[in-house]
Amino acid sequence: MTEGRLVLGPFNRVEGDLEVHLDVADGVVAAARVNAPLYRGFERMLEGKDPRDALTITPRICGICSISQSAAAARALGAAMGLTPPPAGEAVMQLIHAVENVADHMTHFNLFFMPDFTRPIYADRFWHGQALDRFTAMQGSAQRAAVAARAELLHILGLLAGKWPHTLALQPGGVTKAPGARDKVRLSTHLRAFRRYLEEVLFGAPVEDFAALASTDGLKDWSRGDAGLFLRIALDTDLENLGRGAGRYLSFGAYPLAGGHAFRAGVWDNGPQTLETSAIAEDLSHAWMLGATAHPLRGMTLPDEDMRDSAYSWCKAPRLDGRPMETGALARQVIDGHPLAVDLAIRGGGVLARVTARLLEIARTQILMEDIVRDLDPAARFMEAGSLPDQGVGAGLVEAARGALGHWLRIEQGRIASYQIIAPTTWNFSPRDSLGIPGPLEAALAGTPLRPGEETPVAVQHVVRSFDPCMVCTVH
Amino acid sequence: MSQIETFYEVMRRQGITRRSFMKYCSLTAAALGLGPSFVPKIAHAMETKPRTPVIWIHGLECTCCSESFIRSAHPLAKDVVLSMISLDYDDTLMAAAGHAAEAALQDTIEKYKGNYILAVEGNPPLNEDGMYCIIGGKPFVEQLRHAAEHAKAIISWGACASYGCVQAAAPNPTRATPVHKVILDKPIIKVPGCPPIAEVMTGVITYMLTFDRMPTLDRQGRPAMFYSQRIHDKCYRRPHFDAGQFVETWDDEGARKGFCLYKMGCKGPTTYNACSTVRWNEGVSFPIQSGHGCIGCSEDGFWDQGSFYDRLTNIKQFGVEANADQVGMAAAGVVGGAVAVHAAVSALKRAQKKTQDKVEG
Repeated sequence: MTEGRLVLGPFNRVEGDLEVHLDVADGVVAAARVNAPLYRGFERMLEGKDPRDALTITPRICGICSISQSAAAARALGAAMGLTPPPAGEAVMQLIHAVENVADHMTHFNLFFMPDFTRPIYADRFWHGQALDRFTAMQGSAQRAAVAARAELLHILGLLAGKWPHTLALQPGGVTKAPGARDKVRLSTHLRAFRRYLEEVLFGAPVEDFAALASTDGLKDWSRGDAGLFLRIALDTDLENLGRGAGRYLSFGAYPLAGGHAFRAGVWDNGPQTLETSAIAEDLSHAWMLGATAHPLRGMTLPDEDMRDSAYSWCKAPRLDGRPMETGALARQVIDGHPLAVDLAIRGGGVLARVTARLLEIARTQILMEDIVRDLDPAARFMEAGSLPDQGVGAGLVEAARGALGHWLRIEQGRIASYQIIAPTTWNFSPRDSLGIPGPLEAALAGTPLRPGEETPVAVQHVVRSFDPCMVCTVH
Repeated sequence: MSQIETFYEVMRRQGITRRSFMKYCSLTAAALGLGPSFVPKIAHAMETKPRTPVIWIHGLECTCCSESFIRSAHPLAKDVVLSMISLDYDDTLMAAAGHAAEAALQDTIEKYKGNYILAVEGNPPLNEDGMYCIIGGKPFVEQLRHAAEHAKAIISWGACASYGCVQAAAPNPTRATPVHKVILDKPIIKVPGCPPIAEVMTGVITYMLTFDRMPTLDRQGRPAMFYSQRIHDKCYRRPHFDAGQFVETWDDEGARKGFCLYKMGCKGPTTYNACSTVRWNEGVSFPIQSGHGCIGCSEDGFWDQGSFYDRLTNIKQFGVEANADQVGMAAAGVVGGAVAVHAAVSALKRAQKKTQDKVEG
């Protein structure tokens, strides 16, 4: 197709449901509108409930990043209670969160992103045979290895969090499980096994080597492991210039530990800036939601049951000071100042940059997790007691695998008076705002080339998946 | 039927060795609580029976059931089951996208009419004519009805499909409704839990694929082999309950010693599930073992029973049929009014959606 309109959906291999409407002109995408067609109303269910119920209910927004939701809820409650976990409890909480984030990156790369390169449309490429062997959906050898390695990594969650998905172990005052000396040995065993997978299969080299890459040119020379296969494909298909971003990134900061966030909080708008969370507001002009543009502490979730014509998604449009923001592994690594990520962002921040940032983050987080386990002191306190206030507000800002996740809570008369959630994909897949400014994915899709006759354009698939959308979180 | 392969052929084609296959058969027998004499029976069934196709669809949910499923304890069991269902339809894991995916679903339904198992993850929201969950331009409830029409049996995965789960929590904004309240004319097996334990999922599906019949169900429609005992019955902290040794606050001396979590709101005494025996994440642990009480996620209505940290004496006992019905009736009553008010508006909206006008089946 070279002219006209195209509706893509349902998307498979994304968490939840997604529809993308494209206006096509001269063989490229002229404009895109992203629709999140699933709404459940979590924020409304929470109203009037015991505030602690948020710890059980919000993780169930999403079965893939349930710990991120759980961590944000615990933090929001903790803020309202004036409670912070003791350092050891915080460290275990961050370890639990890091494991889930790494597992999510693994799922994205192996199960969601790479299988698109096994499509027959690429049959004439020199790497296609290798892609088929490694990444054919549900059969590829890389997929099997990744699922097995991931399952073993998640033993850590079994051990510390009791069950996954949907753990209950993360509390405002810390974690319910105090790991003993024996647990510490088991934790390091699982991490060693995971390192072996990373170094033998994903990177084909020490994780430190990948984490030490400092430029796009250095990256392009990486030939080993599945990362090397991805880079050969990326160079051949020009993923560097596909789905370029606007150079605006947001991170709430990942893994707050005794010495500060392991990956810094901040904003990047073609250069580093400080983060003012009071400048966050959700615009409802193109969402089937009623109400005015508001900061999440004052905002509400009231679905427009008429589904008015001027709107096109259940997703609200969060903006920072009126600006749409991209969030995720790339944003975190850019804001943390990692030279490779900064270089990738300056050169356009396209599909290559987003996928590479996840690989980079897997490598860096592996090192971080090993550090946390090494420093674990079984004799330390892992939980502080606290009591719920009758009135109070709190914000829980964390970094999920897919980016900045915020919970904003208001307690009145001991009950939840309002609960608002902005998920990473709400930022990335936001619809237009009242000024008509498109969300990050909508902007990144503009200019994407279509091949003649394509009904599910493969380039559009790459761009959409490079954000690792989690649609169930988006609207919740 | 001759054109459908046997399970054994499928497995061999997927690169599973004869040795692994036999191992799988004995594992299956063990997992299902059957004696060694059943191993050759299972093997024979899988060598001779045509494969039962499985269609796996997702409604209003969080995909936690799929997440649980893909990391089942025995990699072999998972590989085998995944290879059995890979030929058919699963919209989270499959390769196809967009219209190709819809066509694949249609093809599978046509090809195996009356012969496939429909696995449902999540549930349909009925408010606004199902507009809160649109798949391929149509409300999920239509996809569900269509796929169910020609199914041999239905598996309701998880608390969402079985009971509604948290998205049905008061005021149930979208009127999320469990599968058995929408599909009335098919055998439905409920595998509740949020999510269900991976081994329970593979166990149930293996049983159905292997023996071509439903496992024995309890009166709530759950497979008795996994849901006939309370968490409390087999809890490793049970001796502390009997001895009156309880955790009083988080991370206190009792918590460090692994005392009973009853006073912290544990719902183990009223929850029927296999967590305390099969455990989670490949048998590593389960919530009580990590120091948090059970919230009863495999019981109907667990999401709306007061605080999860209230002691059991303070709440109504759930898991009791009469009470479950009352909860369901109350929810239906509340949303009934809302539906009538908005029906006209929604009908107009439907007319605007071109893609929705496609004729069904």
